[in-house]
Amino acid sequence: MELNQFSGAVKYVLDQELAKIVNISMALEMPLLLKGEPGTGKTMLAHAIAETLRMPLIVLNVKSSMKLVEALYQYDTLTRLNDSRFGDSDRDVSDINAYLRMGKIGQAFVSDSRAVLLIDEIDKAESDFQDDMLDVLDQMQFDIVETDEVVKAKQRPVFIITSNAKKDLSDPFLGRCNFHHIAFPDPKMMRNIISAHFPELNRSLAENAVKAFYELRRIEGIEKKPATRELINWIRALLADPDFRHGDKLQKEIPYLGVLFKKSGDYQRAASISLKKRFF
Amino acid sequence: MFIDFFFKLREVSIPVNPTSFLTLQKAINSGLVGSLDDFYIVARTVLVKSEKYFDLYDQVFAHVFQGTALPETDDPAFDFLADTLLQEWLQDPKSIADGFGVDEEKLRAMSSEELIDYFKERLKEQQGRHDGGSKWIGTGGTSPVGHSGFHPGGMRVGGQSGNKSAVQVAAERRYRDYSTEGPLTQNSIGEALKRLRNLVPRGAKDQINIDASIYQTMKNGGEIELVFDRGIVDRLKIILAIDNGGWSMEPYVHIVQTLFTYAKSQFKDLKTYFFHNTIYDYLWEDPGRYSSPVKIDEFSRLDPDTRLIIVGDASMAPYELMAADGSIYAMERSGKPSIESLRFLSETFDHSIWLNPTPRRNWGYTRTISVIENIFPMFELSLDGLENGVSRLMS
Repeated sequence: MELNQFSGAVKYVLDQELAKIVNISMALEMPLLLKGEPGTGKTMLAHAIAETLRMPLIVLNVKSSMKLVEALYQYDTLTRLNDSRFGDSDRDVSDINAYLRMGKIGQAFVSDSRAVLLIDEIDKAESDFQDDMLDVLDQMQFDIVETDEVVKAKQRPVFIITSNAKKDLSDPFLGRCNFHHIAFPDPKMMRNIISAHFPELNRSLAENAVKAFYELRRIEGIEKKPATRELINWIRALLADPDFRHGDKLQKEIPYLGVLFKKSGDYQRAASISLKKRFF
Repeated sequence: MFIDFFFKLREVSIPVNPTSFLTLQKAINSGLVGSLDDFYIVARTVLVKSEKYFDLYDQVFAHVFQGTALPETDDPAFDFLADTLLQEWLQDPKSIADGFGVDEEKLRAMSSEELIDYFKERLKEQQGRHDGGSKWIGTGGTSPVGHSGFHPGGMRVGGQSGNKSAVQVAAERRYRDYSTEGPLTQNSIGEALKRLRNLVPRGAKDQINIDASIYQTMKNGGEIELVFDRGIVDRLKIILAIDNGGWSMEPYVHIVQTLFTYAKSQFKDLKTYFFHNTIYDYLWEDPGRYSSPVKIDEFSRLDPDTRLIIVGDASMAPYELMAADGSIYAMERSGKPSIESLRFLSETFDHSIWLNPTPRRNWGYTRTISVIENIFPMFELSLDGLENGVSRLMS
């Protein structure tokens, strides 16, 4: 069976398990629903798949007030009204198709090559959004009400759906998806991720930074734990500082906490703990 | 073997549906599954739809494919009970040791985990014989442990609850976190709740009203005039207060769970609080009613348009409602009868209802129900009742 196999991208460190899951979802042509803490690379995965398999990536950022039809297509009434008044465009006012534009899902459907469609943070929208989407997922087609045309997917896109699980997704929706929960990477994995981002990084800094990072994550009562993104930015900050570039000093002192902790309560808590560390 | 696996998963109550099982078959036929490891990953991604069940899945997988023993599904009641015993042990080691008929020193030597395990072990031996008699655990007997009328910390656990008297108080699941379990079973509840919406135009006028624009344009003889509207948003705020205490609510756990799950996914601005039997000075944000109390006086600062929904059986001993210090919890001494607090709430929020899971035909038998009915409009927690309740809230 010929199948494009996905095995990770330049800046994306993939564990075997997830690679398997992506491949099986592509083979089954089922959407893959990803859950997990922020910063575990849910969104990055779609980018990585598109990059490796050389497929176009189409991103639908779900907003709270979004209706599904906006993601399918838009009928631009106003331009048509404007054209019919002034008539100075090269569009044919009597042709309704000239004023129909595809939304993100529509674009993925009419795309000539198989596309990766990332539906980011689906849980943000009302539950109607998912309910309406069931049909589209099942049939891989939708109607354009204005022209009574049916848009069929030329090639079934690779659906990657992410959710931060603020709300539960509905059962019928879950039934149509494959599911994976991305756990927060363990220190070993994290070192791989770091070295993918900073190939030149010296060992001692990487070790110490990762160690300090996991210690900070363990502080109790932190509201928003620092994630991969924060760690990468933090290392960037450390590299810019000649004092810390070599990493040894991290055992004594932890600078730039503001890069890691974004909530003032968290910041203070972390600061007081790392201050204690300095003296004892 | 796969069929067996499938049913095992269902047995440990992982919601697996047959369609996804067919999908799994398809996946196996696709040629991508080459080893048991592959199968493990693929089956999980296809069958299990929530990380809540990952751990359970692992155990079942190991059992079916490697023959390890299936974990005993621990009854949460045991966990709770063992925990209670531990608390009690900390308060009064001697009576516990005597109760077990073992040396106090022997128990002292154990760590808290060991103690919990030990208690559980002993509890299991006792399964099925909880009431009466002189067994070391039971109710109303001569037993030193169990329902001796006092909770660790000197609080009273027992008490009358309408028609049902407190049996098995010690073995009682005192509370349940309604949010963690409960599959969405009754879609109809969601339907009924859908009508709870208060759509109001709000914010800047930034949305074009196409119909009105075309109409105006035509009126102007083709000169375009754009008409803008405010966007419409749902501003409904809801407070849901749930009675999750004790035995009298236990039969209705299922239905309240369903309601709760729907409410949680449906409403943007939903605050959930918990109480036991009735409300005094505080409501609790945590299901355990322990760590985060909220003074109900604070509620007067909230938007009076907030909809208040109280769910409870409203069945208790009359003094709990009427007496100044009626609470069955010793810590909860407000000096104000609960009925005053309830009145305060119903006056604060114009739109409030009480949903009662007990059937309406039984309401007449419980005095406290009719008292509360005079304060809050009360509806049966059934589909009909819910619908009536919702229309009352929206009126």
